[in-house]
Formats: sequence, C-alpha cells, structure tokens
Amino acid sequence: MSVIAEHGGIAEHIHPEPQGFVRKYVFSLDHKIIGIQYIITAFVFFVLAGCLAEIIRIQLMHANGGFVTANTYDEVYSIHGSAMVWLVIIPMLTGGFGNFVMPVQLGARDVAFPWLNMISFWLFPVAGLMLFSSFLMGAPVAGWTEYPPMSLQGGAGTSMWCAAIFLVGVSSTLTGINFLVTILKMRAPGMTFTRMPLFCWGQLATAPLLMIATTALAAALAALFMERQFGVPFYDPTKGGSPVLWQHMFWFYSHPAVYIMILPAFGIMSEVISVFSRKPVFGYRMIAFSSAAIALAGFMVWAHHMFTSGIAPYMQLPFMVLTFAIAVPTGIKIFSWLATMWGGKIHLTTSMLFALGFLVLFTFGGISGVFLAAIPFDLHVHGTYFIPAHLHFVLVGGSLMGIFSGMYYWFPKMTGRYLSEFWGRVHFALFVIGFLGTFLPMHWLGAEGMPRRVASYDPQFQWVNQLESIFSFIMTAAILIFFVNMLYCIRNGKKAGHNPWGARTLEWQIPSPPPYYNFKHIPSVFGLPYDFTEPLPYTHLEDELTDAPVTVGAQ
Amino acid sequence: MAVVSIPGGGEVDQLYADTRELRLQGFLLFLVSDVVLFSSFIFAYLYLRNSGQGWPPPGIARPPISLAALNSAILFGSGATMHYALENFKRGNFLRYSSLMLWTILLGILFLCGQGIEYTTLYFQDHVSWAGSGIFGASFFTLTGMHGFHVFCGICYLVVLLLQSVHGVYDKNKYFGLTAGTLYWHFVDVIWVVLFSIFYLI
Amino acid sequence: MNLVQIEHVLAVAGGIVVFVVASIALRNDWKTPGMDNQVFKLMLGLLALGGVLAALAGLGVIGKA
Repeated sequence: MSVIAEHGGIAEHIHPEPQGFVRKYVFSLDHKIIGIQYIITAFVFFVLAGCLAEIIRIQLMHANGGFVTANTYDEVYSIHGSAMVWLVIIPMLTGGFGNFVMPVQLGARDVAFPWLNMISFWLFPVAGLMLFSSFLMGAPVAGWTEYPPMSLQGGAGTSMWCAAIFLVGVSSTLTGINFLVTILKMRAPGMTFTRMPLFCWGQLATAPLLMIATTALAAALAALFMERQFGVPFYDPTKGGSPVLWQHMFWFYSHPAVYIMILPAFGIMSEVISVFSRKPVFGYRMIAFSSAAIALAGFMVWAHHMFTSGIAPYMQLPFMVLTFAIAVPTGIKIFSWLATMWGGKIHLTTSMLFALGFLVLFTFGGISGVFLAAIPFDLHVHGTYFIPAHLHFVLVGGSLMGIFSGMYYWFPKMTGRYLSEFWGRVHFALFVIGFLGTFLPMHWLGAEGMPRRVASYDPQFQWVNQLESIFSFIMTAAILIFFVNMLYCIRNGKKAGHNPWGARTLEWQIPSPPPYYNFKHIPSVFGLPYDFTEPLPYTHLEDELTDAPVTVGAQ
Repeated sequence: MAVVSIPGGGEVDQLYADTRELRLQGFLLFLVSDVVLFSSFIFAYLYLRNSGQGWPPPGIARPPISLAALNSAILFGSGATMHYALENFKRGNFLRYSSLMLWTILLGILFLCGQGIEYTTLYFQDHVSWAGSGIFGASFFTLTGMHGFHVFCGICYLVVLLLQSVHGVYDKNKYFGLTAGTLYWHFVDVIWVVLFSIFYLI
Repeated sequence: MNLVQIEHVLAVAGGIVVFVVASIALRNDWKTPGMDNQVFKLMLGLLALGGVLAALAGLGVIGKA
C-alpha cells in the first residue's frame, strides 16, 4: 500500500501481474480470481449439501424412515441447512458474483482492500471444512437455527458448528466492509449513484447487512459457544438464562440474511431481464431505492419468526405489519421487471429462462411469505412443512435460480466461452419440473399438519413424500447436467467474444476473460448503462479491445 | 513491488489521490461492526436483566461503584491525553506527543489494573464468578471482559504506534495510523461510558 | 478517610478534569472539516458526558453504592 500511496493513487496504477501458480491462482489478490475461487468452493459445498438433501429425501420415502437413524437424520438436515445458507448461497452471491462482477461494473481495478478480500476468501473454505467435520464428533441436531436448549444438549460438534459459522461470519463481515468502501469510493469518474448498474445497487444494499447483521450473529454464537464449553449461563432457563434470547439474536441476523441471499439475485435479475429484453430497465430509481428500503426494513421484522415463542402480543402486531410492508418494495421490483419486458424484444436464452423462472417461483414464495407473516395463519402452520416449502421457494426458486441465471450470463465473461445453450435448456426444464414436484406439495403437507424435522411420520402422507422424493431426483439430475455442462464448456465451449449478449454494462466492454488490470484506461461514465438505442455512455474505452500496449512507465 | 502506471489518468488522479480516504472509511466501518458486537451483548444483558428475576439477582451484591467511578475517570482521562497527543503530533511537537502517548498507555494499564482488582474482589470476597453466578456473572464478566480485551488490544496498538513514530514512520502529512489509533482509543472509551452507565448507574 | 472516600474524591476530580479537557478539545475542533474529525467530535462529546457521569457517581448523585 505504501508504494501506491507514494505514487498518488491506485486507480491509474497497474500492478504487474503476479507470476507463479500460487501467487496467481491460490493466494491471489485479484478480485476476479477470488470471485472464481468463491464460486468453485461454493459449488463444491453445494454438491456436499445436495448429497445431504438427497439423504433427507431417501429417508422420507418411507413413513417409518429406516434409511438412517433418527439422530443421524437430525444431523443431516441441520448441516444441510447451515451449509446451503452460509457456505453456498451467501458466498456465491456476495463473494462470488460480487467479487467478479462488481468492481468491473464500477470501472475499478480492484476492490478497496485486496488483502482483506483474500483473507475473507480463505476463511470461508476453512469454515466449510470445520462445519462438515462436525459430523465426526456428533453434529448439531437442532436444525440450522440451533435453538437452545436443544443445541446446548447436542453433540460436541455443535461447538464446532458455532466456531465454523463464526468464522464464515467474520469472512462475511470483512467482505461487507470491503464492498461498501469499494462502492462508496472507487466508482469510475462520472459514475454517480444513479448511474450505477443495478447489480451494484444490489451489492450496495447487501454490504451493510453483511457488516452489521453478521456481527450480531457473531455475538449470539460466541454466547452459545461460551455456554456450551464453559457453562456460562445465557440461554439455559434452569440457570436463569433465556432460550428466547437466542431466538432474538439469531433472527436479528438471520432475517437480514434472507435479504443478503436475495438482494444480489435481484441485481442479477435486473441486468439479465434488461439485456435480454433489449429495453431500458423500467423504473431504475424505483428498483435501486427499493433495494435500500428492503435492506433497511429487513432489520425491523425479525420477530415474525417467533410468533409461537411467547413474545408479548403488543410486540407481535407491529412485526406483522412491518413484514407485510416489506412486500411493497419487493412488489415494486417484480412489477418493474414485468414492465421492462413489456413490449421488449425478448431473447429466450437460458439465462433469460432462469430469470423468468425466478419471477414466477420467487413471487410464489414471496406470497407464501406474506401468508406466514399473518399471525393467525403462522400459528397454524409454524413448525410444519409449510415453512420448508416457503423457504425453499424463496431460496431455491429465488436465490439459486438467480445464481444459475448469473452463471449462464457471466460464464462467457469468466472463461471466454458459452455454456451449452441446449443442455442449459434441458437443465432449466428438468430443474423447474423437479423443483415444483418437490416443493409444491410441501405446502399441502404443511397445511395438513405434517411437522418438519421428523425422521418418521404419519403413513397417510407417504405417497406425497414419495412423489416429492422422485421429483427431487429429477432436480438432482438437472444439477448434474449443469455441472457437466460447466466442466465441459470451460475448455470446449463455443467461443463467445467479448460481448456475446450485446450488453452495455462496463464488464462487457473489455476482453473475456478480463485482463489482470481490467481497464487499460479508467473509463469516464456519462449515462445509465440501459439505454439500448443510444451510443454507449463511456469514454476512454477505445483501446480496451485493441492490441494497444499497456503503457509502462512511472509518472 | 514495482509500480507500473499508464498515462492519461489525469481526472482519475484527483478522484483517487488519497488512499487514506479508503482506509479511513474501512476503519470506521470496522468500528461500526464492533459497535454492533457490543450492542448485541448489551441487548442480551438488558434482556436477561429484565427477564423478571430482579436485579441484581437474589444473593448477589452489586460491584462497588466507587472503584468503578475512579476507573472510569482514569480511562476517560486517557482519552483526553490521546486526543492531545494527536493534536501535538499534527503541530509537529514530537516531544509532547510522545510523553502524552506514554501517559495514555500508562492510564490504560492503570485501568486494567483497576479492573483486575475489581475482578479479584468479586471472585474471592463475594464469590461471584463467570460461569457460576447465573445471568449476573455471565453478562457482567462477558461484557466488561470483552471491553477489557479491547483495552488490552488498544494498549498494544498504541505501543506499536509509538515505536513506529519513534522510528519515523509517520510525518506531519502522513499519519493515518495515528488517526486510526486515536479513533480506536476513543471508541474504547465511549463503549465504557455505556457499560459504566448500564452496569453501575441504572 | 477510608479507601472508598479516597476513590470517590479521585473520581469526582478526574471526572471534572476529563469534562473540562474534552469540552475544550471539542470547542477547538468545532469547525474542522472531514469525516474523521466529525467522528472525533462525536466521541469527544460522549467522553465529556462520561466525565460528568463519573463525577456524579463519585458524588453519589447517581448509582447505588
């Protein structure tokens, strides 16, 4: 850093590309490499957590279970949930896409603190290994929420779980600080907040959540760890503690975490839908500000997860109303995307198909969320399969569809090659069929009263569960197709060129994959990137695609 | 590491001229996340305190306020000396700066000693411990211990800063480390204002 | 004069000194620009408040001994 400071700034300086495999690909400081590292690691954990999901579905094929013991079943769904939330979706959307795309879209050479970025990345696989290694010593059994007092009685792995989630939380916090400073301070000249691409707006709304909410979780985890290891009474009611305290602290993080998992996906949607409709985003400011509104309101609704936990009635009502209110900015986004597509020239690429799937499935999940916010309905279905149905609709139908859409969209930028569009369509079709078949009947199971987190259940639900399990195999097949497609196309895909989709944000104006220094000259920005009839709103980009040398020399 | 630059970055130059801005903002955000960490534990403490067992819980005596008040005055005094240390550094008055820094470090150590006395009194005389005294021990020792740990880290940081400035790492135009150190030390003081109020005054 | 009284007196004196010093620093810095100075001012203000609290606690006005 001191060298940079002496020469007067970072934006116009290009560090020489590091040499050697370790410096280039392992302990890299380059945000693009780190982003790809995040994506690969998160996909590895996705496979592991997906295997756990299949164990759950195989167990539920029969009303008496029998595939694994009830205790193992508890461990499996606990780790499945924790891993999917903390090791797959959050790192993929913030660390992965955020790192790869966001600095380039802003016209920066790197994030604000590359060293911090590297540290945040390397904390994440370590935390992941710790989380999965908790199986070796008796994994947590109280679900991904780990409510005490059950989590106080769980196996030794529960403490390991605390430590792992704490580490991944530190990683998130550092990423949040890093991204926030990057967005606030490192935008290209002329890129005002109202000219920023909407994906960056998504990251801007997410970064404070990562920074603030995750720290609150760290406190809750530290207290749980201290209680388990040293017997310090915070949560144990027999020693004067309060289990509800954990629920408050946990949901103060975990409700904003829901928006950490969806706001970047909203950003991806805004980019993809606008590009493949060849129309400017409808209501740019409304979409941008509704992200901020969702992030802000996300801090004020946590107790709607706790209507059955015995909180005072005068507290329940405001939380219910505020939760309803969050549906408004979300609705603004959905309608803006619909209006963007209205009358547009829609290109049904795989990425766009996933975006359309996102719109339908996420809206569905969002509406069941509004159901759950209503206290009378929530009292009825709390702790039943309605909850997994809702959360899988928003996290799989929302976040994961967003991740797939983003992968098909940005894969050409990462590798210079297309993913196969044919297999992409197969992936999409199978995935949506499998998804609906797996999670749609869960609404019915929940309304009928089948409790969640049970290893065996009432035989009258058996045929529905068998149906769900069969559809879940279809979903798994679809994901396998996606992985094979990706591994094959890294080397053998069709060459894509620098801007295969005709997109107008900055990352598509430079070669694919982007060179180490991103831009030969930092561009100047004088407009929104979404007006498809106008010329590009950038200057100083003439040399990017030519052989013009990167001029070397001290100032 | 050699630095290679490209021409034509004139307008960029002004925008990014100062990496200090980046580091300052990053440091402030770090302090914000630290505030959230303390706030969460304070929330936990207030929640437990109001959970209907009375405060302090039966059988436990409140820690004496006189020592805590003296300790607070010591820590706040160190905040003032730290502030004037930075002021003197900015004006180039290196001698006064280093003596004020030493005073700050000394007062910080005194504060930790005071806390040590308080802990030992509580433990040996009143038999109040971290794990064995219900929610009082848990919240009191966790919060004040976490704050004490922050003070300890701050003292180490200040020692490093003092050694660095003796070796001439900072000059009149470039002293970001000292700004960060002062901010951190003020942060530790201000957290104590809150902890002192909620544990001893209300 | 026992230990508790000495502590009380020292706390009052310390609190007043801190309040005065922090207020003077606050007044000198009042017009400085820049984000770090804004944060400094906020923290100095809280420091002055802390001094007052310590002094009042030493006087026995607030807090139960």
